[in-house]
Amino acid sequence: MAKAKGYPEALETKLRDRALHADDSNPQFTKTVEEISRTIPHMCFQCGTCTSSCPSAPRSSYRIRKFVRRVVLGLENEALTDPDLWLCTTCYSCTDRCPRDIAPTDTIMAMRNLAFKRDIIPINFLKTVQAIYKSGHGVPNNDVNRAARVKLGLTADPPTTHMYPEYIKGIQKIIDHYKLKENADRIIKEAEG
Amino acid sequence: MDAKHTYAFYLGCIAPNRYPGVEAAAIKTSKKLGIDLVPLKGASCCPAPGAFGSIDLNVFYAMAARNLVLAEQMKTDIALVCNGCYKSIWEVNHKLKHNDDLRDGVNEVLKEVDMEYKGTINVYHLAELLYDPMIAGVEKIRESVTNPLTGTRIAVHYGCHLIKPKKDREFAHQEMLNTEGPTWMEEMVAALGAEPVEYRYKMLCCGAGGGVRGYDIVHSLDITNEKLLNLKDVGIDALTDICPFCQLQFDRGQIEIQEKFGAVYNLPVLHYSELLGLAQGMSPQELALDLHGISCEPFLQKVL
Repeated sequence: MAKAKGYPEALETKLRDRALHADDSNPQFTKTVEEISRTIPHMCFQCGTCTSSCPSAPRSSYRIRKFVRRVVLGLENEALTDPDLWLCTTCYSCTDRCPRDIAPTDTIMAMRNLAFKRDIIPINFLKTVQAIYKSGHGVPNNDVNRAARVKLGLTADPPTTHMYPEYIKGIQKIIDHYKLKENADRIIKEAEG
Repeated sequence: MDAKHTYAFYLGCIAPNRYPGVEAAAIKTSKKLGIDLVPLKGASCCPAPGAFGSIDLNVFYAMAARNLVLAEQMKTDIALVCNGCYKSIWEVNHKLKHNDDLRDGVNEVLKEVDMEYKGTINVYHLAELLYDPMIAGVEKIRESVTNPLTGTRIAVHYGCHLIKPKKDREFAHQEMLNTEGPTWMEEMVAALGAEPVEYRYKMLCCGAGGGVRGYDIVHSLDITNEKLLNLKDVGIDALTDICPFCQLQFDRGQIEIQEKFGAVYNLPVLHYSELLGLAQGMSPQELALDLHGISCEPFLQKVL
Protein backbone atom coordinates (compact mmCIF):
# COMPACT_ATOMS: atom_id res chain seq x y z
CA MET A 1 0.00 0.00 0.00
CA ALA A 2 1.09 3.54 -0.68
CA LYS A 3 2.72 5.54 2.12
CA ALA A 4 0.21 6.67 4.71
CA LYS A 5 0.68 10.35 3.90
CA GLY A 6 -2.08 12.50 5.27
CA TYR A 7 -3.31 9.87 7.76
CA PRO A 8 -4.98 11.35 10.80
CA GLU A 9 -2.64 11.50 13.80
CA ALA A 10 -4.79 9.20 15.92
CA LEU A 11 -4.58 6.51 13.29
CA GLU A 12 -0.78 6.73 13.24
CA THR A 13 -0.71 6.19 16.99
CA LYS A 14 -3.06 3.21 16.63
CA LEU A 15 -0.86 1.64 14.00
CA ARG A 16 2.10 1.72 16.44
CA ASP A 17 0.08 0.08 19.24
CA ARG A 18 -1.22 -3.30 18.13
CA ALA A 19 -1.81 -4.79 21.59
CA LEU A 20 -5.42 -5.42 22.56
CA HIS A 21 -5.41 -3.60 25.88
CA ALA A 22 -7.98 -4.44 28.53
CA ASP A 23 -10.54 -2.03 29.78
CA ASP A 24 -13.48 -2.12 32.20
CA SER A 25 -16.51 -3.90 30.82
CA ASN A 26 -19.85 -2.09 30.58
CA PRO A 27 -22.73 -4.54 29.96
CA GLN A 28 -25.03 -1.60 29.16
CA PHE A 29 -22.85 -0.86 26.11
CA THR A 30 -23.80 -4.23 24.59
CA LYS A 31 -27.50 -3.50 25.12
CA THR A 32 -27.31 0.04 23.75
CA VAL A 33 -25.48 -1.08 20.60
CA GLU A 34 -28.11 -3.78 20.05
CA GLU A 35 -30.91 -1.23 20.49
CA ILE A 36 -29.49 1.33 18.06
CA SER A 37 -28.29 -1.17 15.47
CA ARG A 38 -31.38 -3.42 15.64
CA THR A 39 -29.13 -6.41 15.14
CA ILE A 40 -27.83 -9.27 17.30
CA PRO A 41 -24.04 -9.11 17.92
CA HIS A 42 -24.41 -11.41 20.98
CA MET A 43 -24.97 -14.27 18.48
CA CYS A 44 -21.41 -13.88 17.15
CA PHE A 45 -19.20 -16.98 17.38
CA GLN A 46 -16.09 -15.19 16.08
CA CYS A 47 -15.72 -17.14 12.82
CA GLY A 48 -14.12 -14.16 11.07
CA THR A 49 -16.19 -14.30 7.89
CA CYS A 50 -16.81 -10.57 8.39
CA THR A 51 -13.13 -9.58 8.53
CA SER A 52 -12.27 -11.83 5.58
CA SER A 53 -15.02 -10.11 3.52
CA CYS A 54 -13.92 -6.61 4.50
CA PRO A 55 -12.29 -4.33 1.89
CA SER A 56 -10.70 -2.23 4.64
CA ALA A 57 -9.11 -5.14 6.52
CA PRO A 58 -6.25 -5.93 4.08
CA ARG A 59 -5.05 -2.32 4.08
CA SER A 60 -5.34 -1.33 7.74
CA SER A 61 -5.54 -2.62 11.33
CA TYR A 62 -9.38 -2.37 11.19
CA ARG A 63 -10.93 -5.69 12.19
CA ILE A 64 -14.71 -5.83 12.21
CA ARG A 65 -14.61 -9.14 14.13
CA LYS A 66 -12.70 -7.39 16.92
CA PHE A 67 -15.30 -4.61 17.11
CA VAL A 68 -18.15 -7.14 17.35
CA ARG A 69 -16.23 -8.91 20.15
CA ARG A 70 -15.83 -5.60 21.97
CA VAL A 71 -19.60 -5.10 21.77
CA VAL A 72 -20.23 -8.54 23.26
CA LEU A 73 -17.68 -7.96 26.05
CA GLY A 74 -18.91 -4.43 26.74
CA LEU A 75 -15.50 -2.89 26.02
CA GLU A 76 -16.97 0.53 25.42
CA ASN A 77 -13.93 2.79 25.74
CA GLU A 78 -11.77 0.52 23.66
CA ALA A 79 -14.35 0.44 20.86
CA LEU A 80 -15.35 4.09 20.80
CA THR A 81 -11.84 5.58 21.03
CA ASP A 82 -10.34 3.34 18.34
CA PRO A 83 -9.75 5.41 15.17
CA ASP A 84 -10.32 2.26 13.09
CA LEU A 85 -14.03 2.67 13.87
CA TRP A 86 -14.16 5.16 10.99
CA LEU A 87 -12.55 2.90 8.34
CA CYS A 88 -15.74 0.93 7.55
CA THR A 89 -16.93 1.83 4.04
CA THR A 90 -20.36 0.37 4.91
CA CYS A 91 -20.20 -1.98 1.91
CA TYR A 92 -22.30 -4.54 3.83
CA SER A 93 -20.30 -7.53 2.52
CA CYS A 94 -19.89 -8.78 6.11
CA THR A 95 -23.62 -8.37 6.71
CA ASP A 96 -24.39 -10.29 3.53
CA ARG A 97 -22.16 -13.20 4.49
CA CYS A 98 -22.52 -13.47 8.30
CA PRO A 99 -23.56 -17.07 9.08
CA ARG A 100 -25.18 -15.88 12.34
CA ASP A 101 -27.42 -13.38 10.55
CA ILE A 102 -25.83 -10.41 12.35
CA ALA A 103 -25.42 -7.07 10.61
CA PRO A 104 -21.89 -6.13 11.75
CA THR A 105 -22.05 -2.98 9.57
CA ASP A 106 -24.98 -1.73 11.61
CA THR A 107 -23.13 -2.33 14.88
CA ILE A 108 -20.40 -0.05 13.51
CA MET A 109 -23.00 2.62 12.73
CA ALA A 110 -24.38 2.30 16.27
CA MET A 111 -20.88 2.62 17.78
CA ARG A 112 -20.23 5.70 15.64
CA ASN A 113 -23.48 7.23 16.96
CA LEU A 114 -22.28 6.55 20.52
CA ALA A 115 -18.82 7.96 19.78
CA PHE A 116 -20.43 11.17 18.50
CA LYS A 117 -22.20 11.54 21.87
CA ARG A 118 -18.68 11.84 23.34
CA ASP A 119 -17.65 14.36 20.66
CA ILE A 120 -15.54 11.71 18.91
CA ILE A 121 -16.20 12.27 15.23
CA PRO A 122 -14.09 13.01 12.13
CA ILE A 123 -14.47 16.62 11.07
CA ASN A 124 -15.45 15.74 7.47
CA PHE A 125 -18.69 14.16 8.75
CA LEU A 126 -19.60 17.42 10.49
CA LYS A 127 -18.78 19.53 7.43
CA THR A 128 -21.43 17.56 5.52
CA VAL A 129 -23.94 18.55 8.23
CA GLN A 130 -22.97 22.21 7.84
CA ALA A 131 -23.34 22.03 4.03
CA ILE A 132 -26.79 20.44 4.22
CA TYR A 133 -27.92 22.91 6.88
CA LYS A 134 -26.94 25.78 4.60
CA SER A 135 -28.17 24.56 1.19
CA GLY A 136 -29.98 21.26 1.64
CA HIS A 137 -27.20 19.54 -0.32
CA GLY A 138 -24.11 17.71 0.94
CA VAL A 139 -22.47 18.40 -2.42
CA PRO A 140 -23.86 21.80 -3.54
CA ASN A 141 -24.05 23.26 -7.06
CA ASN A 142 -21.35 25.59 -8.47
CA ASP A 143 -20.98 28.06 -11.36
CA VAL A 144 -19.22 25.69 -13.79
CA ASN A 145 -21.96 23.14 -13.23
CA ARG A 146 -24.74 25.74 -13.55
CA ALA A 147 -23.44 26.74 -16.99
CA ALA A 148 -23.21 23.07 -18.03
CA ARG A 149 -26.76 22.39 -16.85
CA VAL A 150 -28.14 25.26 -18.92
CA LYS A 151 -26.36 23.92 -22.02
CA LEU A 152 -28.04 20.57 -21.42
CA GLY A 153 -31.45 22.22 -21.38
CA LEU A 154 -31.76 21.72 -17.62
CA THR A 155 -32.50 24.50 -15.14
CA ALA A 156 -29.32 26.20 -13.82
CA ASP A 157 -30.19 24.92 -10.36
CA PRO A 158 -31.87 21.52 -9.95
CA PRO A 159 -35.52 21.53 -8.76
CA THR A 160 -34.37 20.66 -5.25
CA THR A 161 -33.78 22.98 -2.29
CA HIS A 162 -31.43 24.80 -4.68
CA MET A 163 -34.33 26.03 -6.84
CA TYR A 164 -36.80 26.17 -3.95
CA PRO A 165 -34.79 27.54 -0.98
CA GLU A 166 -38.05 28.04 0.95
CA TYR A 167 -37.77 24.33 1.82
CA ILE A 168 -34.45 24.81 3.65
CA LYS A 169 -36.15 26.19 6.77
CA GLY A 170 -37.88 22.83 7.36
CA ILE A 171 -34.57 21.00 7.04
CA GLN A 172 -32.95 23.37 9.53
CA LYS A 173 -35.80 22.78 11.99
CA ILE A 174 -35.28 19.01 11.78
CA ILE A 175 -31.51 19.32 12.28
CA ASP A 176 -32.00 21.82 15.12
CA HIS A 177 -34.46 19.48 16.85
CA TYR A 178 -31.48 17.19 17.44
CA LYS A 179 -29.11 20.14 18.16
CA LEU A 180 -26.90 18.71 15.43
CA LYS A 181 -25.78 21.97 13.81
CA GLU A 182 -25.00 23.49 17.20
CA ASN A 183 -22.84 20.51 18.17
CA ALA A 184 -21.16 20.36 14.75
CA ASP A 185 -20.20 24.04 14.94
CA ARG A 186 -18.88 23.64 18.48
CA ILE A 187 -16.80 20.52 17.76
CA ILE A 188 -15.34 22.00 14.57
CA LYS A 189 -14.46 25.21 16.43
CA GLU A 190 -12.74 23.26 19.20
CA ALA A 191 -10.80 21.22 16.64
CA GLU A 192 -9.85 24.02 14.29
CA GLY A 193 -9.86 27.01 16.65
CA MET B 1 -43.75 6.39 -27.29
CA ASP B 2 -46.12 7.62 -24.60
CA ALA B 3 -44.75 7.37 -21.11
CA LYS B 4 -46.98 5.07 -19.08
CA HIS B 5 -45.07 4.90 -15.82
CA THR B 6 -44.58 8.12 -13.87
CA TYR B 7 -42.13 8.57 -11.01
CA ALA B 8 -40.97 11.49 -8.87
CA PHE B 9 -37.31 11.85 -9.86
CA TYR B 10 -35.27 12.07 -6.67
CA LEU B 11 -31.96 13.65 -7.80
CA GLY B 12 -29.67 13.54 -4.77
CA CYS B 13 -26.51 15.71 -4.86
CA ILE B 14 -23.73 14.38 -7.06
CA ALA B 15 -25.77 13.68 -10.21
CA PRO B 16 -27.34 17.17 -10.53
CA ASN B 17 -24.38 19.08 -9.06
CA ARG B 18 -21.35 17.26 -10.53
CA TYR B 19 -22.54 14.99 -13.39
CA PRO B 20 -25.64 16.78 -14.76
CA GLY B 21 -25.41 14.63 -17.89
CA VAL B 22 -26.63 11.74 -15.75
CA GLU B 23 -29.78 13.70 -14.87
CA ALA B 24 -30.37 14.83 -18.48
CA ALA B 25 -29.75 11.33 -19.85
CA ALA B 26 -31.95 9.63 -17.25
CA ILE B 27 -34.92 11.85 -18.18
CA LYS B 28 -34.49 11.51 -21.96
CA THR B 29 -33.61 7.83 -22.17
CA SER B 30 -36.34 6.77 -19.73
CA LYS B 31 -38.99 8.63 -21.73
CA LYS B 32 -38.11 6.50 -24.77
CA LEU B 33 -38.72 3.41 -22.63
CA GLY B 34 -42.10 4.52 -21.32
CA ILE B 35 -40.91 5.97 -18.00
CA ASP B 36 -41.75 9.57 -17.15
CA LEU B 37 -39.51 11.20 -14.52
CA VAL B 38 -41.09 14.32 -13.01
CA PRO B 39 -39.36 16.77 -10.62
CA LEU B 40 -39.56 16.20 -6.86
CA LYS B 41 -39.68 19.83 -5.79
CA GLY B 42 -37.80 20.82 -2.66
CA ALA B 43 -35.96 17.53 -2.17
CA SER B 44 -32.64 17.71 -0.31
CA CYS B 45 -29.60 15.48 0.18
CA CYS B 46 -30.90 11.97 0.98
CA PRO B 47 -29.04 12.57 3.55
CA ALA B 48 -25.61 11.02 2.92
CA PRO B 49 -25.91 7.63 4.70
CA GLY B 50 -22.24 7.48 5.69
CA ALA B 51 -22.02 10.95 7.21
CA PHE B 52 -25.51 11.41 8.71
CA GLY B 53 -26.09 7.77 9.61
CA SER B 54 -22.78 7.67 11.49
CA ILE B 55 -23.55 10.79 13.51
CA ASP B 56 -27.13 10.16 14.56
CA LEU B 57 -29.44 7.61 12.95
CA ASN B 58 -32.51 9.44 14.25
CA VAL B 59 -31.64 12.58 12.25
CA PHE B 60 -30.87 10.35 9.28
CA TYR B 61 -34.36 8.78 9.48
CA ALA B 62 -36.12 12.15 9.88
CA MET B 63 -34.25 13.83 7.02
CA ALA B 64 -34.89 10.94 4.63
CA ALA B 65 -38.54 10.85 5.75
CA ARG B 66 -38.94 14.51 4.78
CA ASN B 67 -37.92 13.62 1.20
CA LEU B 68 -40.32 10.66 1.25
CA VAL B 69 -43.22 12.88 2.42
CA LEU B 70 -42.66 15.23 -0.55
CA ALA B 71 -43.32 12.27 -2.86
CA GLU B 72 -46.23 11.06 -0.71
CA GLN B 73 -47.80 14.50 -1.18
CA MET B 74 -47.51 14.00 -4.96
CA LYS B 75 -48.98 10.47 -4.56
CA THR B 76 -46.10 9.28 -6.75
CA ASP B 77 -43.48 6.57 -6.29
CA ILE B 78 -39.83 7.67 -6.31
CA ALA B 79 -37.19 6.74 -8.90
CA LEU B 80 -33.54 7.60 -8.31
CA VAL B 81 -30.16 7.06 -9.98
CA CYS B 82 -27.74 6.71 -7.05
CA ASN B 83 -26.99 3.70 -4.81
CA GLY B 84 -26.23 5.96 -1.84
CA CYS B 85 -29.60 7.69 -2.21
CA TYR B 86 -31.23 4.24 -2.50
CA LYS B 87 -29.66 3.26 0.82
CA SER B 88 -31.19 6.32 2.51
CA ILE B 89 -34.51 6.74 0.73
CA TRP B 90 -35.47 3.11 0.10
CA GLU B 91 -34.14 1.76 3.37
CA VAL B 92 -35.66 4.44 5.59
CA ASN B 93 -39.00 3.99 3.80
CA HIS B 94 -38.75 0.25 4.43
CA LYS B 95 -37.73 0.70 8.09
CA LEU B 96 -40.49 3.22 8.81
CA LYS B 97 -43.13 1.05 7.16
CA HIS B 98 -42.17 -1.93 9.34
CA ASN B 99 -41.27 -0.34 12.69
CA ASP B 100 -43.99 1.63 14.47
CA ASP B 101 -41.58 2.99 17.09
CA LEU B 102 -39.30 4.49 14.43
CA ARG B 103 -42.26 5.90 12.52
CA ASP B 104 -43.72 7.53 15.66
CA GLY B 105 -40.34 9.04 16.51
CA VAL B 106 -39.94 10.48 13.02
CA ASN B 107 -43.48 11.85 12.93
CA GLU B 108 -42.97 13.64 16.24
CA VAL B 109 -40.17 15.63 14.60
CA LEU B 110 -41.92 16.07 11.25
CA LYS B 111 -44.88 17.60 13.11
CA GLU B 112 -42.65 20.63 13.73
CA VAL B 113 -42.51 21.20 9.97
CA ASP B 114 -46.21 20.33 9.36
CA MET B 115 -45.46 16.99 7.77
CA GLU B 116 -46.50 13.41 8.46
CA TYR B 117 -44.91 10.26 7.12
CA LYS B 118 -47.66 7.82 6.09
CA GLY B 119 -45.83 5.07 4.22
CA THR B 120 -47.91 5.32 1.06
CA ILE B 121 -45.27 5.23 -1.67
CA ASN B 122 -42.52 2.93 -2.95
CA VAL B 123 -38.93 3.73 -3.91
CA TYR B 124 -37.08 2.31 -6.92
CA HIS B 125 -33.63 2.63 -8.45
CA LEU B 126 -33.98 3.55 -12.13
CA ALA B 127 -31.72 0.59 -12.99
CA GLU B 128 -34.23 -1.85 -11.50
CA LEU B 129 -37.07 -0.20 -13.46
CA LEU B 130 -35.03 -0.41 -16.67
CA TYR B 131 -34.32 -4.09 -16.03
CA ASP B 132 -37.93 -4.95 -15.12
CA PRO B 133 -39.82 -6.25 -18.20
CA MET B 134 -43.08 -5.11 -16.59
CA ILE B 135 -41.78 -1.52 -16.77
CA ALA B 136 -39.07 -1.40 -19.50
CA GLY B 137 -36.90 -4.54 -19.72
CA VAL B 138 -33.80 -5.64 -21.60
CA GLU B 139 -35.69 -6.27 -24.88
CA LYS B 140 -37.18 -2.80 -24.86
CA ILE B 141 -33.74 -1.31 -24.14
CA ARG B 142 -32.31 -3.24 -27.09
CA GLU B 143 -35.10 -1.97 -29.38
CA SER B 144 -34.45 1.64 -28.32
CA VAL B 145 -30.81 1.55 -29.48
CA THR B 146 -30.07 3.56 -32.63
CA ASN B 147 -26.30 3.80 -32.18
CA PRO B 148 -25.11 0.37 -30.98
CA LEU B 149 -21.89 0.40 -28.97
CA THR B 150 -20.55 -2.45 -31.12
CA GLY B 151 -16.89 -3.36 -30.75
CA THR B 152 -16.48 -1.97 -27.23
CA ARG B 153 -15.67 -3.94 -24.08
CA ILE B 154 -17.43 -2.62 -20.99
CA ALA B 155 -17.17 -3.77 -17.36
CA VAL B 156 -19.79 -3.15 -14.69
CA HIS B 157 -19.35 -1.76 -11.18
CA TYR B 158 -22.57 -2.60 -9.29
CA GLY B 159 -21.68 -0.69 -6.13
CA CYS B 160 -22.90 -1.72 -2.70
CA HIS B 161 -26.00 0.05 -1.49
CA LEU B 162 -28.54 -0.92 -4.13
CA ILE B 163 -28.27 -4.67 -3.61
CA LYS B 164 -26.60 -5.06 -0.21
CA PRO B 165 -27.51 -6.17 2.40
CA LYS B 166 -29.64 -8.62 0.42
CA LYS B 167 -31.51 -9.92 3.47
CA ASP B 168 -33.36 -6.58 3.65
CA ARG B 169 -33.95 -6.12 -0.06
CA GLU B 170 -37.25 -6.89 -1.81
CA PHE B 171 -36.61 -6.94 -5.56
CA ALA B 172 -39.20 -8.26 -8.01
CA HIS B 173 -36.49 -10.24 -9.80
CA GLN B 174 -34.41 -12.97 -8.16
CA GLU B 175 -31.43 -12.03 -10.35
CA MET B 176 -31.10 -8.81 -8.38
CA LEU B 177 -30.78 -10.69 -5.09
CA ASN B 178 -27.51 -12.27 -6.22
CA THR B 179 -24.87 -10.15 -4.48
CA GLU B 180 -21.88 -12.45 -5.11
CA GLY B 181 -21.93 -12.65 -8.92
CA PRO B 182 -24.84 -10.76 -10.45
CA THR B 183 -25.10 -10.44 -14.24
CA TRP B 184 -28.29 -8.42 -14.76
CA MET B 185 -26.34 -5.23 -15.46
CA GLU B 186 -24.18 -7.14 -17.96
CA GLU B 187 -27.43 -8.10 -19.74
CA MET B 188 -28.31 -4.41 -19.96
CA VAL B 189 -24.82 -3.58 -21.28
CA ALA B 190 -25.09 -6.31 -23.94
CA ALA B 191 -28.47 -4.86 -24.97
CA LEU B 192 -26.59 -1.71 -26.05
CA GLY B 193 -24.41 -3.75 -28.44
CA ALA B 194 -21.29 -3.69 -26.26
CA GLU B 195 -19.45 -6.73 -24.95
CA PRO B 196 -19.81 -7.03 -21.15
CA VAL B 197 -16.55 -8.07 -19.51
CA GLU B 198 -16.07 -9.96 -16.23
CA TYR B 199 -13.12 -9.19 -13.94
CA ARG B 200 -11.57 -10.37 -10.70
CA TYR B 201 -13.29 -9.31 -7.43
CA LYS B 202 -16.11 -7.55 -9.30
CA MET B 203 -18.21 -6.96 -6.20
CA LEU B 204 -15.49 -5.05 -4.31
CA CYS B 205 -16.66 -1.69 -2.98
CA CYS B 206 -15.44 1.52 -4.74
CA GLY B 207 -13.88 2.67 -1.47
CA ALA B 208 -15.75 5.96 -1.10
CA GLY B 209 -18.57 5.04 1.28
CA GLY B 210 -19.09 5.28 5.02
CA GLY B 211 -17.38 8.68 5.16
CA VAL B 212 -14.02 6.99 4.45
CA ARG B 213 -13.31 9.15 1.39
CA GLY B 214 -13.34 12.23 3.61
CA TYR B 215 -11.75 10.58 6.67
CA ASP B 216 -8.80 8.86 5.03
CA ILE B 217 -8.52 9.52 1.29
CA VAL B 218 -5.41 7.33 0.84
CA HIS B 219 -7.12 4.32 2.38
CA SER B 220 -10.22 4.99 0.29
CA LEU B 221 -8.26 5.33 -2.99
CA ASP B 222 -6.24 2.20 -2.25
CA ILE B 223 -9.49 0.21 -2.55
CA THR B 224 -10.35 2.02 -5.81
CA ASN B 225 -6.85 1.32 -7.08
CA GLU B 226 -7.29 -2.41 -6.46
CA LYS B 227 -10.42 -2.35 -8.62
CA LEU B 228 -8.67 -0.36 -11.35
CA LEU B 229 -5.76 -2.84 -11.38
CA ASN B 230 -8.17 -5.75 -11.83
CA LEU B 231 -10.01 -3.85 -14.57
CA LYS B 232 -6.75 -3.07 -16.36
CA ASP B 233 -5.95 -6.80 -16.46
CA VAL B 234 -8.99 -7.57 -18.65
CA GLY B 235 -8.55 -4.64 -21.07
CA ILE B 236 -11.77 -2.63 -21.32
CA ASP B 237 -12.88 0.54 -23.10
CA ALA B 238 -15.09 1.85 -20.29
CA LEU B 239 -16.44 1.11 -16.82
CA THR B 240 -20.14 1.62 -16.19
CA ASP B 241 -21.85 2.26 -12.85
CA ILE B 242 -25.27 3.08 -11.43
CA CYS B 243 -24.10 5.39 -8.65
CA PRO B 244 -22.73 8.93 -9.13
CA PHE B 245 -20.72 8.67 -5.89
CA CYS B 246 -18.98 5.50 -7.15
CA GLN B 247 -18.56 7.33 -10.46
CA LEU B 248 -16.89 10.27 -8.71
CA GLN B 249 -14.59 7.87 -6.86
CA PHE B 250 -13.53 6.09 -10.08
CA ASP B 251 -13.44 9.19 -12.30
CA ARG B 252 -11.98 12.01 -10.17
CA GLY B 253 -10.34 9.29 -8.08
CA GLN B 254 -8.11 8.32 -11.01
CA ILE B 255 -6.64 11.84 -10.96
CA GLU B 256 -6.04 11.58 -7.20
CA ILE B 257 -4.53 8.09 -7.62
CA GLN B 258 -2.14 9.49 -10.21
CA GLU B 259 -1.10 12.25 -7.78
CA LYS B 260 -0.75 10.00 -4.73
CA PHE B 261 0.33 6.62 -6.13
CA GLY B 262 1.69 7.56 -9.56
CA ALA B 263 -0.56 5.02 -11.33
CA VAL B 264 -2.21 6.07 -14.60
CA TYR B 265 -5.25 4.26 -16.02
CA ASN B 266 -7.17 6.77 -18.20
CA LEU B 267 -10.27 4.58 -17.94
CA PRO B 268 -13.50 6.32 -19.01
CA VAL B 269 -16.23 5.91 -16.38
CA LEU B 270 -19.87 6.34 -17.42
CA HIS B 271 -23.15 6.01 -15.54
CA TYR B 272 -25.45 3.49 -17.24
CA SER B 273 -27.84 6.35 -18.11
CA GLU B 274 -25.02 8.13 -19.97
CA LEU B 275 -24.16 4.91 -21.79
CA LEU B 276 -27.81 4.36 -22.70
CA GLY B 277 -27.95 7.98 -23.90
CA LEU B 278 -25.04 7.41 -26.29
CA ALA B 279 -26.65 4.20 -27.56
CA GLN B 280 -29.95 6.02 -28.12
CA GLY B 281 -28.12 8.64 -30.20
CA MET B 282 -27.50 11.44 -27.68
CA SER B 283 -24.31 13.40 -28.38
CA PRO B 284 -21.41 13.76 -25.89
CA GLN B 285 -22.43 17.44 -25.63
CA GLU B 286 -25.98 16.47 -24.63
CA LEU B 287 -24.42 14.36 -21.88
CA ALA B 288 -21.85 16.95 -20.71
CA LEU B 289 -19.16 14.28 -20.88
CA ASP B 290 -16.55 17.06 -20.87
CA LEU B 291 -17.25 17.46 -17.13
CA HIS B 292 -15.77 14.02 -16.47
CA GLY B 293 -12.33 14.07 -14.85
CA ILE B 294 -11.07 11.32 -17.18
CA SER B 295 -11.58 11.96 -20.88
CA CYS B 296 -14.19 9.74 -22.55
CA GLU B 297 -12.66 10.48 -26.00
CA PRO B 298 -10.95 7.11 -26.64
CA PHE B 299 -14.26 5.38 -25.92
CA LEU B 300 -16.29 7.89 -27.95
CA GLN B 301 -14.03 7.40 -30.97
CA LYS B 302 -15.05 3.75 -31.02
CA VAL B 303 -18.79 4.35 -30.77
CA LEU B 304 -19.46 7.56 -32.73
